[in-house]
This record gives sequence, structure tokens and C-alpha cells, in this order.
Amino acid sequence: MLVVETNDLTKIYDNRYIALNALTLNVEKGMVFGLVGPNGAGKSTTFRILLGLQKATAGTADVLGEPMSAERADLRRRIGFLPTNPRFPRNLTPIQYLEFVGAICGLPADRAKVQLARLLQAVDLTTAASQRIEGFSTGMLTRLGIAAALMNDPELLILDEPTSGLDPSGRKQTIELIRELSGRDRTIIIATHILGDVERVCTDVGIISAGRMIYSGPMTEMRRLARHGTVSVEIEGNTTAFEQQVHTLDEIGSLAWERLGSEFRITFLGAEPLPNYVQRVLGLVDRTGVELLHIRTGADEIEEAFLRRLEEDRTRGFLRAAAWAATQDLQAGATPDAPGAPAIPAESETRDAGIPRDPAV
Amino acid sequence: MQAFLAILRYDLGQLARSWLVRIWVALLVAPALFLTVVASTENELASETLGAYLGAVLAPLSGVAVAVITAAAVSGESGIIADAILSRSVTRTEYLWAKIASRIGVTLGLYFAIVIPLIYLVTRYAVNDVSAAGVLVGVLMVAVLLGFLAALGITLSTLMRNVLMAVLVLLLVIVSSGVVLQFLGLTWLSTTAVLNDLPDTFRGDTAAWDSVRVLLLFPMMSVLALAAAVWTFRQKDL
Repeated sequence: MLVVETNDLTKIYDNRYIALNALTLNVEKGMVFGLVGPNGAGKSTTFRILLGLQKATAGTADVLGEPMSAERADLRRRIGFLPTNPRFPRNLTPIQYLEFVGAICGLPADRAKVQLARLLQAVDLTTAASQRIEGFSTGMLTRLGIAAALMNDPELLILDEPTSGLDPSGRKQTIELIRELSGRDRTIIIATHILGDVERVCTDVGIISAGRMIYSGPMTEMRRLARHGTVSVEIEGNTTAFEQQVHTLDEIGSLAWERLGSEFRITFLGAEPLPNYVQRVLGLVDRTGVELLHIRTGADEIEEAFLRRLEEDRTRGFLRAAAWAATQDLQAGATPDAPGAPAIPAESETRDAGIPRDPAV
Repeated sequence: MQAFLAILRYDLGQLARSWLVRIWVALLVAPALFLTVVASTENELASETLGAYLGAVLAPLSGVAVAVITAAAVSGESGIIADAILSRSVTRTEYLWAKIASRIGVTLGLYFAIVIPLIYLVTRYAVNDVSAAGVLVGVLMVAVLLGFLAALGITLSTLMRNVLMAVLVLLLVIVSSGVVLQFLGLTWLSTTAVLNDLPDTFRGDTAAWDSVRVLLLFPMMSVLALAAAVWTFRQKDL
């Protein structure tokens, strides 16, 4: 069952800024889905639309099997949300605020009290429970936000940068908490910049760039893709000979490499299994007579894969722009009604071809 | 309904803690007591005393206070509204109606809480020249004016994110409305005209139609303003 399903979700602010560009996101029940992307990629906008806080310009957003809108409080009752750098009524104490959230969610007062006490302990805010929120640090606000998101024991938990502003121990605690919360039919979506967090807790991952989903799949697949083709060797001895022959490891243009001191990081762009590449690198080490100090595959693997995906998407973007420019030239050279003039494709055809009709889009 | 009640309770708590409301109450109560004492010792007419209090003290002071508390109703929470409230199981309609109920409720509740005892004291200790119907109509006329001001403030609050701007625009509308209404030949609709005629109204000397049209028109305009506020707020991206 799909807990979140968006189709061609598009958000354009004031006809000026495209925050989401036909985004398709599918999250199944029980997943811990990591939404990764650079700043301004559209992660928070996606969440705001999924919560009915913003309206989509086009496309659909279904949550828990039903279309979400501003008036769907019944759907939001089943969702917990932690925004980035959350802001709360400053003159309340955590207890008062969580009581308020409990009342909004329709929890009976006695049950809300039990729940808030348990949650304040879980997020380590028991000692600050009687202090006013206005004196809280960013980390404390985030922890209070997590507690508020869990007040209604949600089926779907949406966490926007849950570890932002937290110190290392707070971060570890939060990651542990998310791990504990996963499973038990609960679905979690986490947006973050910290790829290590995604790797530690997520079962699935989606990479969002410029409002589009450029990759979505299981974490294991992402790891496999990441590991695929990256071999790092640290060598000593005749490194110049090694350096001169690196390019012979594969066909020209199907590998990239860089030297970082005595370490060579070689990325194979082909589709062969990783052991083949490792074997070839070891062969070269043998041939050049260098001393092998260290060999590893897929260092910083997720980050590498993430950056590679973004880079590929950017390249494709340039190609799309070039293709669009070509169609503009063609149209400028022929009047629309003239016989033999190229027909302007229908909107769906244009999108499928990756060529937007409007330069702004 | 639970969300509506929770937000109503929360907002009333916020208003109770507000220094603006406390100062507003103090500034209304002190002159009311002073005028009662003066009216009784100087044998003033009850109609003139009540008219002076409502026109010269309550209306301007409450005008400013109501402008601030209503124009800040939504815009004052623009930072927390999405993160802390509307991302939970609350509809925008519930949220806004809770705000409307709380802000207009506090405005009118405080007004009646001060004016009703004042009327009792003034009619008892000053020269009683008022009619019961006249007092009822006069008090209701000021109430509908305050209600309209509050409704307009809430509407501006949903339109603007900046509290100060919303308050300034509201005050500007009030101040400039007199000139505009005079230009349009609708002087009877201006707050100044209604307040100036209050002593006559208390005595029961105002023509029934003059009172009825004010009592009908201002609530209608308030309803229109609130409908616009609800519509705007439901369309808004947070």
C-alpha cells in the first residue's frame, strides 16, 4: 500500500519560481524513506504540500490513500510532522504546548498527560519541562518538535532535517529514536543533508534536485550503485608508472581517476561487476611493481553516488536546454501556418521528450 | 470541534497574558470610575456622561487596542502557525473561527463588562434622563462598531504577514473612512456621526430608522469582512 503518492506534483510560486517540477514520489507502508537533495531542491515544499499547508500548482498528492488538502484534518491526525528549525509559541512550556497538541489531536486529557511525559523523557526534555520555550536552544526545539510530532502516535512521520542543530550525542539519540520508531506499520519520511543519517536509518532513498526526483529506490540498490566502479588504492614506490598506465585499465573515456597524494581513486563508468575492476587494478599494481598499502571500494559511497546523480542530472539539464534552444531556432525559421513547418508537440509529448515549452519551465 | 475549542482556549490564554489587554482594561476602568464620581457630585446628565465616556474615552482607546489585537490575530503567529498548529489535525476554518471567536469575544466581552456596570452606576448616581430602549440601542450601536473594527482587523491579519503593517493599514482605513464617507454623502455611516449622536440615542431622541440602519449595516459589513477573511485564509500558502 502506498502511504504517499504524488504524480507530476508541480509548485510554482508567484509565477516566478519553480519549486517542484513534476515530482513523482511513491512511499510504501513501513518504509523509512530518506529524501536527499541540496538546499532549495524542493524537499520542504513537498512536505508542505503533503501536509496541506500549501496548494500544488499542478499534479496530485495523495497521503494515506486520499487526496490531501488544507481542510483534511482527519488525514493530518494520522501524520506527525517535524519542520526544519521548528518554531513554537514562545511563552508556553513544553508541557503546555504538548497538552495543546494533544487537545488538537483529540486525545483525552489523561492520555495526553501520560503520552507527553513519556515523550519528554524519550527526547530528554524532562528537566526543561517547566521552562518557557523562548529560552530553548535549537537542539531543544528540535527535540520538542520530535515529541510534538509523536503525540498522536502517527502512522506517517514526516521529519524535515531531524538532526539539524543537534550536537553529536543529540544526533545519535535522534537517529536511535527514529530507528526505534520504524517498523510497527509506521512509515517515516526523512529529509536531510546528512547522508550518513540516511545510510544509517533509511530503507529507501530518493534524490531530489531542482524540484524533480532524479533517483528513487531501495537503499541497498543505492549502495550497490555507489560501490559500483569505485576502487581506491594507496600505493608506494614507482607511482609515476602507475599513474601513466591508469588509463589502460578500461576503454578510453569509460573511467575517471584522481590522485590524492599516494592514493588513486579510480571510478569505472562501465557496467561490469566490481570484482572485475578490482582484479584489473591489482593487475596494474603487479605490472608496475608498486607496493600496495591499502585498497578499498566505495569510500564515502553514498555521498559519491549522490553527487554523481546530481552531476548526471545537471548534464542532462544542459542537454535539455540545448534541445529546447534547437526547437526554438527551428520555430523561428518557419511560420507556424506555413506548409512544412514543424508541428509544436503536445504538452505531454514535450514533457516526455524532456523539452519544456516555456523557457521558464 | 475539539481543535476549535483547544485553539480558542489557547488564544484566550494568550490574550489574558497580554500586557496590551491588561493596560486597555485599566485605561477603560479608571476614567469610568472617575466619570461616575464626577457625574454624581456635579449632577451631570446620565446621557451626556455616558455619551462622553463612550465617544471620548472608550471608542478611541478601544479602537487602537482592538486594531492591535485583531490585526495581530493571524499575522502575529505567522512564524508558528504552520509549524506548530496547522500541520496538526486542524482545518484552517477551525483555526480562523477560533481566532474570530476569541478576538471578537474578548473585544465585546470587555466592552460589555465595563459598560453595563457603568450604565448602572451613572443612571443611579447622576441625573437619570435616559430611556431603557435608548440605552440598549446606544450600547448595541457601539458594540456593532467595535465588532466591525475587529472583523476588519482579522481580515487584514489574514492578508498581511507583518503585524505592524496590518495595524497601520487598519488605523488608516478608520481615519480616512470619515472623509471618504462625507465625500460620498454617507456621513451617517461614519463612526464620528454615530458617537456624536449617542447622548440623543440614550435619551431615545434618535429616529428609529437612523439606529436600525446602523444596527443592520455594520453587522452585515462585519459578516462580509469575515467571509473574505475565511476565503483568503483557505486559499493561502503557509
